[in-house]
Formats: sequence, C-alpha cells, structure tokens
Amino acid sequence: MGAARSHRAPPAGHSRSAPVSWVLATASWITTVDHKRIGILYGVTAFAFFLLGGLEALLIRLQLAAPDAHVVSAETYNALFTMHGTTMVFLAIMPLNAAFFNYMVPLLIGARDVAFPRLNALSYWILLFGGLFLNASFLVGTPPDVGWFGYANLTSKQFSPSHSVDFWLLSLQLLGVSSMIAAINFIVTILNMRPPGMRLMRMPVFVWMTLVVQFLIVLAFPPITVGLIFLMFDRFFGSHFYDVAAGGDLHLWQHLFWIFGHPEVYILILPAFGIVSEVLPTFARKPLFGAPVVVYSGVLIGFFGFGVWSHHMFAAGMGPVADAAFSIATMLIAIPTGVKIFNWLATLWGGSIRATTAFHFAVGLVGLFTIGGLSGIMHASPPVDLQQTDSYFVVAHLHYVLIGGSLFGLFAGAYYWWPKITGRLLGERLGKLQFWVLFAGFNTTFFPQHYLGAIGMPRRIYTYAGATGWTLWNAVSTVGAFGIAAGVLLFMVNAWWSLRAGAPAPADPWDGRTLEWRTSSPPPPHDFDTIPPVLGRDTFWREKYGPRGAPPAPTHDHIHLPAPSHWPVVVGLGMAVLAVGALTHLTIVLMGALVTIVGIFRLALEHHRTPAHEHQTGGLGLDHRKVALWVFLGSECFFFGTLIATYLAYRGRSVVGPEPHEILNIPLTTVSTFDLLMSSLLMVLALAAVERDDRRHARLWLFGTAFFGLIFLAFQAWEFTQFVREGLTLQQNLFGSTFFVLTGFHGAHVAVGVVWLLSLWLLDLRGRLRAADAVKVEVAGLYWHFVDVVWIAIFTLVYLIP
Amino acid sequence: MNVTGAHATVRTYLKVALVLTGVTILEVGSIYIRQLTPIIVPLLLAMSAAKFALVVLFFMHLRYESRVLTLLFCGPLLLATGIMIALMTLTGAFLVFGR
Repeated sequence: MGAARSHRAPPAGHSRSAPVSWVLATASWITTVDHKRIGILYGVTAFAFFLLGGLEALLIRLQLAAPDAHVVSAETYNALFTMHGTTMVFLAIMPLNAAFFNYMVPLLIGARDVAFPRLNALSYWILLFGGLFLNASFLVGTPPDVGWFGYANLTSKQFSPSHSVDFWLLSLQLLGVSSMIAAINFIVTILNMRPPGMRLMRMPVFVWMTLVVQFLIVLAFPPITVGLIFLMFDRFFGSHFYDVAAGGDLHLWQHLFWIFGHPEVYILILPAFGIVSEVLPTFARKPLFGAPVVVYSGVLIGFFGFGVWSHHMFAAGMGPVADAAFSIATMLIAIPTGVKIFNWLATLWGGSIRATTAFHFAVGLVGLFTIGGLSGIMHASPPVDLQQTDSYFVVAHLHYVLIGGSLFGLFAGAYYWWPKITGRLLGERLGKLQFWVLFAGFNTTFFPQHYLGAIGMPRRIYTYAGATGWTLWNAVSTVGAFGIAAGVLLFMVNAWWSLRAGAPAPADPWDGRTLEWRTSSPPPPHDFDTIPPVLGRDTFWREKYGPRGAPPAPTHDHIHLPAPSHWPVVVGLGMAVLAVGALTHLTIVLMGALVTIVGIFRLALEHHRTPAHEHQTGGLGLDHRKVALWVFLGSECFFFGTLIATYLAYRGRSVVGPEPHEILNIPLTTVSTFDLLMSSLLMVLALAAVERDDRRHARLWLFGTAFFGLIFLAFQAWEFTQFVREGLTLQQNLFGSTFFVLTGFHGAHVAVGVVWLLSLWLLDLRGRLRAADAVKVEVAGLYWHFVDVVWIAIFTLVYLIP
Repeated sequence: MNVTGAHATVRTYLKVALVLTGVTILEVGSIYIRQLTPIIVPLLLAMSAAKFALVVLFFMHLRYESRVLTLLFCGPLLLATGIMIALMTLTGAFLVFGR
C-alpha cells in the first residue's frame, strides 16, 4: 500500500514550530494529488482570476459610463476588453467548472480519486503558471490587445509588433495543455472508475455533463492549438499561414478559432446545466423530470456544437449555402436546449420547494439563460445576424448566456456544495441578499445593452459622442456593473463569515439524493469508508427512503491513496520557463525544456516499481492508461486532421515556387514509408515478446522499432535539407509553410515515440520491464502505430495525389 | 478482469505487414499508370484507407478490443474527417485535387 496522504495540514499545536508547520502545510498543498485539495486550488485560483477579470470589466464600464470619457487610454481599453474576455473564459469560468469537476465527480460516482491523480495536479499547475504568464504581460507593459478571439491579421507582426500577442498565444497554448490533460483524466475517471452498479444512465446529470464537456475539450482544443501554432510560426519564424500577400486566407484563423470557440460555449455552460440538474430535484424533493432526456439533450448539444461554428462568421461572406446550412444547424441546437428548460420547469411543478440560496441561483439560471438563448436564436438567422454583428446586442446575448447561465450555475453549485467542501454552512440570509443584488445588477447591466446594440452602438468601441443617444443606457449599464461587483463582494463576505463562524454542516444538510452526501462534510482523504452501494439513479435517496436495508458497515481495509508528488509542479514550472524563454532568450528555452523533460521522466517513472500502481484496471475491464491513450489519439485525429486540411486548402495557392510536383521525391519517401510501416510490425512483435516475458526478443524488437524510427527521422532530415538547398523553406511560400509544419509535427511525434521506446528498452536492459509491465509497452505501441497511420494519410494526400 | 481479447498471432502480423507492403507498392505504381488518371484520386484514397484500417484493426488491436475503445477512436476520427472536409469546402479549397 502506498503512503496514505494527509487531508489536512498538521495542527498548529503540533510539536513543530509555527514557521515549520507553515512550510509543511504549504508543501503539502504544493505536492498534493488529492482530488479534493486540487479542486480547492482550482476554485481559489479561478476565483482570484475572476476578480481580476471583473476589475477589468468595471474599468471598461467606467470608460463607457459617459460620452467622450478618458478614464483609460484607447490602448489600455483595447487591452482591458481583450484580457477581460480571455481571463473570464480560460482562467475564471473554465477553472471554476474544473473546481467542481475535481472535487465532486469522484464523490458523485463513488470513487476514491481520479484515474490519474498526479496528472490532475499537473493540469492545475500548468493552469496557474499559464494564467500568471498571461497576466505578467501587464507587468512588462505589453498586455494583449487584439480581442479574446485574436483575429488574423491583426495578430501579425506587422500590426502587433510587440510581445502582446506572443503572451496571449503562448499562454493559451499552456492553458490548452492543462485543459487537455484534465479532460482525458476525467473521461477515464468517469468511464472506468465507476463502482459496481453505477451504470452510465444511473450517473448524476452533473457527471454526465462533465463527461460531455471533457469530450468537447479533447476534440475542440486541437483545432485552436493548430491555429495558434500557425500564428506562432508566422510571428516567430516568418511562415505565411495568415499572410494574404503570400496567398494565405484570413478566414482560416476564423474557422479554426470558431471550430473551437463554439464548443467552448458549451464547455462553459454545460457544467452549469449539470449543477442545476442536481440542485432543482434536491430542493423540489422530486426526481429530475425526464432525466434520461436531459442527458440525451446534453449529449446532443455537445454533438451539434461542432456543426454550428460558422454562425459566428455570417458577416464574413461565406455565401448563401454555407449561411443556410449553419443557420439550420444553429436553430436545431435550440431544440435540446429548450428540452432541458422544460424538464427543469416540470421538475419544479408540484414539487415541495425549499427556496434556499442555491435554489434561487438555479432558478435564476433557468430564467436568464432562456433570455440569452432566445437572442441566440435571433442570431441564427443570417439577415438578422448581419444587423447585430459587432453590436452591443451580441455583448448582451453572450453575457446572458455566460453570466446568467454559467455564473449563476456556478453560484448555485457554490451554495449547494460549500457545506460538503468546507464542513460549514453559508449564511442563507446573506446568500439570498447576494442573489437579489446580483440578479438586479446583472439585468441592469446587460438588458439595456440589447437596446444599445439595436440603436447601433458597436462593441469594442473606446468612446462615443453624446449626440449618439447612447449616454443614458450606458450610464445605467455602468451602475448595474457595480451592482454585480456588490453581489460578488457579498459572496466573499458570506464565505469569510462561514469559514470563521459558520454553523457546522452535517454530512447531508440538504437531504440530498446523490452519493457525495453519504460521506462526512468535509469528506475524509479516502472519500468513502466503503465503496457505496448503487441502487439506481438518485442512489442515496433510494438508500435513505427506499425499501433496502441498512448500508454495509464501514471498513478502512485496503485503501490505497497515492503519495504526494512534487513533479507535477516541476513540470508546470518548466513549461512556464519555456514560454518565458520564447520571449526572451534561447538559453531560457533550453533551461525550460530541460526542466520539463526531466520532470516528465521523473513523473512517469516515479511509481514504476510501486506494486499498487501495477494494475490499473477499471470498471470497464480496461486499463486506465490504455483508455487514456485512445482518448488522446481521438484528439490527435483532430490535430493532424487540421494540419492536413490546411495543407490541402492551401495547396496551389502559393504565389511563388517551388510547387510540390517540382520538389517532392516520391521514390525516397516510399522507402521511408516502408521503413515506418515495418517499424509497426516490430512494435507488435515487441509487445508479444514482453507479454510472454521473452526478455531477449523484447529488447531486440523494442530497439528495432526505435531504430526504424530513427531511420525515418534521418530520411526526413535529409529530405528537409535537400528542400532547403533547392529553395523551399518555411518562409519561401505557402507550400513551404504548410509542408514543413505538417511533416515537421509528424516528425516530432516520431521523435517522441523513439524516446519513449528507447526508455522502455533501457528499462528492459536494467531488468525493470516484466510481463506485468506489458500495458506500458502496449500504450507506447498504440502511440507508435498511430504515428504510422498518420503517415499513411500524409504519404497519400501530400506525396501521391497529383 | 481485463476484457482485452487475445491479440493477433505473429503469423497474422506478418501477413498484415505483407499486405501493407503490397498496397504501398500498388499505390506508388498506380501514379505512374496513365490509364488510371481519371480514377487515381479515389483509388489512392481507398488504398490509403485500407492501409489505415489494417494498422488500426490488427497492429492496434482494435479488432480484438472493447467496443468502448472503438467508439473513443472512431467517433472523433469520423467527426474530424467531416469537420475538415467542411473546413476545406468553406475555405474554397475543396476539390483541390482537381487543380
């Protein structure tokens, strides 16, 4: 059994001196891998960023409160709305959702932790360093100022020569890595760590919505990652992805951004829908009406979310067919969303309502999100949208969705689960006051913006003349913004009071329906003394009020909890240093890379010989690591799909040569393709040898696979060198940009695979790779084969098709 | 219990490798045959897809694995394919093969 971790810091009265206790307590938080503590870290960090984003919003509103105002300069104003949007989306709402995922999902499904606790910590540290890196741009005087959407070619070196855009794109890459790691972790946790009886349709709706959101993250982030890579190459290395003069298409960025950006809306809102679906049945003392339909609706929203991105681009001139297709798809998505609204209302109908603060916020969401949804349907019509695009009407719409929806849902969750997390109750009277102040402030701020947009006020405008007739409603809107700030302040007062003097919370303060209420408040480090029985949907309710007998007696036997680890923070720090180096000096890049690589190796090998980590088979009968790798490969389909699609879209658009047919060496590439295909054969032979504990052949085939990979890389290096000699560089033309980035990233994947295989080979040489470790070889092999199939596609689409 | 089924035999792996080699030779050979020009694009795509499927089914063992893993991979693969075709269409570059 691994070392059991401590949930709480050592008590103050311990024999150690106070400073030592403080250091130990801090260290215990830095090295924690407990999902509950990581959830708290997410929550506190995200709330701090939320306050920062809110402060930026207040400055924006002060600037617009009166005509011809000069509260801030125009440049500062651009930076404020850019940082407000980026912060609220990536550093506030997303991680606030993640706080609930982390803390609640294992408790809701009856698990003791997430599938990969150390990766969970890693995703948090990357988020923190990514957020700090983004905001460090203020300290050096170059905050991003191109909007949270960063449209090309405003982001080009020509129009944004300072480091402002570099801060933005590098931090988004860091935050993307964080989100991706967390998403894979939660997919594996939810699919593979459910206890017996917790079938998919018995899962709480919040867990379902969490699952849908994680898939959205895994599949929607790769296109924006590729878009940011293109931008990075344009800015750092002089490629031409967004260079119109070289034949580039500015719409490409808009497509890549919104292929991510629209699912991102659901990434932000679906967790709130999940929270509401837990809160309303609890306080109506009724099961959720049509719960399976609510689940299906959430899944459909997620799926349709991938087919509506271009409704953000109706004004870009895509043509009537594309406009019609995306208009229909957008209207379709209103159906499952409407279904949810009616299901929530039907849940309340005839219920025995307890109007707690959490209930207030949940009902508030239903009303306010409906307003935001209705204005959204208006945008689904291209002619109407053309009138509303870039006006304050859109600002009103999106805030009704993201504050009226996401934020109200998050506050519902905060009031609902606070007793479970802290062991204290929040003040109900103060909570209800907060709700009404926030509700009034929110509507005062954003409802007038519908009107401002309708009478022609553009968004992102620095100031306006008094003669426009926008003065009154802008002043009202600014007053409302301070109402929102007062509401948030009341929450902080309530939280502070609760932590200092709040009434102790029992295990089940709300007469709850789901498993988290079955354990103490706060839960013990191992969550549950025994894995709880699952009797159906709302299992705890059935256990309390159903015909079953008493629950099994608690036992503490055989509970394994992973030991704390400092390697996640080291890796996160290394990645941040890499980003800093990208803006300063190559030496710092190399230092960051070294720390990151060493950290990753130490993280990977930390528990290589820990028996408790040997078998990670979950409820599906599958190893966690294998499920995780397959999920990752699913996201890689999007990553390479985007790279290949861009190559094909740009094919033949270069304004100068050389062209592909003048330079591609098909016979040579055929040999390297054959080499890579055969490496896959060696890989399966290596796996078969490891599985039968045939050490000699395992070593031979593992090394052979890596060696074939090295040969492939040598071919690629030779090909690249030849191309450069013949005048094809990354900077030469669009073909050079797309070709080198596509094949270069494939080569980088091969290189990672070679390092991975050689690491396994070295472990084998040292006698540390046995039949029990076969899954580690299998996972490496899956990655290797995927790299192979990607090359099969590249070989045909890039080299062979004329 | 791990539901992972038995993997293919070494003999099967060798057969798959042989087929992959053969199809690669056919792919490369077909681009030099003038008579195949009208159908070269779908032909190459079909052969590439066949190779892709062989590696995924046999070397990656998807043929022998839980359906969950098939869903986890094939769902995103199909979705990515659809979105990328739409992306190429919207950037005015679809049927690039004809240029």
